[in-house]
Amino acid sequence: MTREARTIYIDRVKESPLSGSRRKRLLVVLFIPSVERNGITQIDQDQWVLKALELFGRVFGGATAYPKAQGVWRDDKNDRKLVRDNPVILHCYMVPEDIENADNQASLGEFCRKMGRETNQGEVGLVIGDEYLAITNFRKG
Amino acid sequence: MKPRIDMDKIAKGLGAKRRGKVRVGGGHFGAMQLVAEVQARFQVPKGGGRATDPNWKTKRLVPLAEQTLRRLEQVSRDIEEKHHVRVQPLQVAALLLGKVTENIADEDIEQIVDSVGSSS
Repeated sequence: MTREARTIYIDRVKESPLSGSRRKRLLVVLFIPSVERNGITQIDQDQWVLKALELFGRVFGGATAYPKAQGVWRDDKNDRKLVRDNPVILHCYMVPEDIENADNQASLGEFCRKMGRETNQGEVGLVIGDEYLAITNFRKG
Repeated sequence: MKPRIDMDKIAKGLGAKRRGKVRVGGGHFGAMQLVAEVQARFQVPKGGGRATDPNWKTKRLVPLAEQTLRRLEQVSRDIEEKHHVRVQPLQVAALLLGKVTENIADEDIEQIVDSVGSSS
């Protein structure tokens, strides 16, 4: 049996070595909840989305918030109850150096803790690169 | 090269706990990433025409299996239907190729090349 081969054109990025070092290649994802930990009380999600966009724009240079998704979270400290909500997922591409900066970490950490505290969450979730990070202690840093 | 970042340090700085790796290459999450890339990078050229990444300046011929092309066409259709973002199958290919090239470790490339070489 002969295999049919097809040749196509695709484009290739051509950049100087210096420009590559500042490329925004690290994806950070933040989940913005729609309800409190009890799964019933609605929070002002729109306001938190705006605040998050403002923070990511100011500190990391930009972000995109997607329309509401469907989510579920298991509250292990509350009888493993399932909390269902409609989170907004925010994506931010950044240069790795930006998340390694201690001031930026402090700003993002404080935002997550504030959101967790003021919206009564059990956990605030972040994905950085290919790793999930959970913030569960919302005390002021 | 894969971004080498100190996740322990970042987790500490954020006051977060590391909960493990996630798979970001496929499914809804992967599609959302592609959509985000298209929206962030694609621009309509000044003279008009199809939106594209202005950094894509070089073209090369690349051989492709029918199966790969079908998959790219499927991804392109899915993105348009679900996210209302128009992206051509070969633009998807260029995005994926760029992403893999940036993130894959040199030793993984060598392993892939070795395995292809030994099976041919």
